Amino acid sequence: MSSSNPALRHQVIRIYKDLLFMGRQYPQGYDYFRTRLHKAFASQRHLEDEAKIKEGIERAEYVKKEIEALYYLKRYRTLRQRYDKPS
Amino acid sequence: MFRTALLRSARSAVRAAPRCQAAMARPVARTAFFQPKPMTPSVYCQAVRCYAASAGLSQEEVLGRIMDLLKNFDKVQDTSKLNLESHFHNDLGLDSLDTVEVVMAIEEEFSIEIPDKEADAIHSVKQAVDYIVAQPDAH
Repeated sequence: MSSSNPALRHQVIRIYKDLLFMGRQYPQGYDYFRTRLHKAFASQRHLEDEAKIKEGIERAEYVKKEIEALYYLKRYRTLRQRYDKPS
Repeated sequence: MFRTALLRSARSAVRAAPRCQAAMARPVARTAFFQPKPMTPSVYCQAVRCYAASAGLSQEEVLGRIMDLLKNFDKVQDTSKLNLESHFHNDLGLDSLDTVEVVMAIEEEFSIEIPDKEADAIHSVKQAVDYIVAQPDAH
């Protein structure tokens, strides 16, 4: 994690928190999500270049949207299954 | 947790009630005749907690709750090093991301929100305890 730029560091921490918070409803369980998220963030710890860090943040934002979409899809499928039961 | 606190405050309220009434009646009496010993009414009513008053978390209670939280945190392997002075990184072997998780868990435990800047400054159990004790709305 960037210790050089505190603003970027805070951004990274915030998105980490956001993702953790979203991971609570993850289908495979929170622990599964948390360990993988931790690994994903820790693998990028060597980044020093600001542009690279920003890129990483962008990617995290993208992942956040993906997870959101996943939840919407899951809800949609569940509801659909309940309404479209073959009689 | 909440129920025990409620019971405790209700019990103390019952105990304090007669004295409270005496204290409330006092100002009227005081105008009528002079009292040689001036009483301090604030002492009487302290046992009754008003809704807006702070919960008044003691340091031991905060420490105990944070300890339990850290004991259940799966990345803390060496629980023997866990005490008031332990540092998240040096003693417990947590990295900065784990620290974020711990701070998040603390936020939930005491139902408060810690701003990013303050959250970044919490690196040890002692700092966390001091921060929580300083928060009036933590409970």
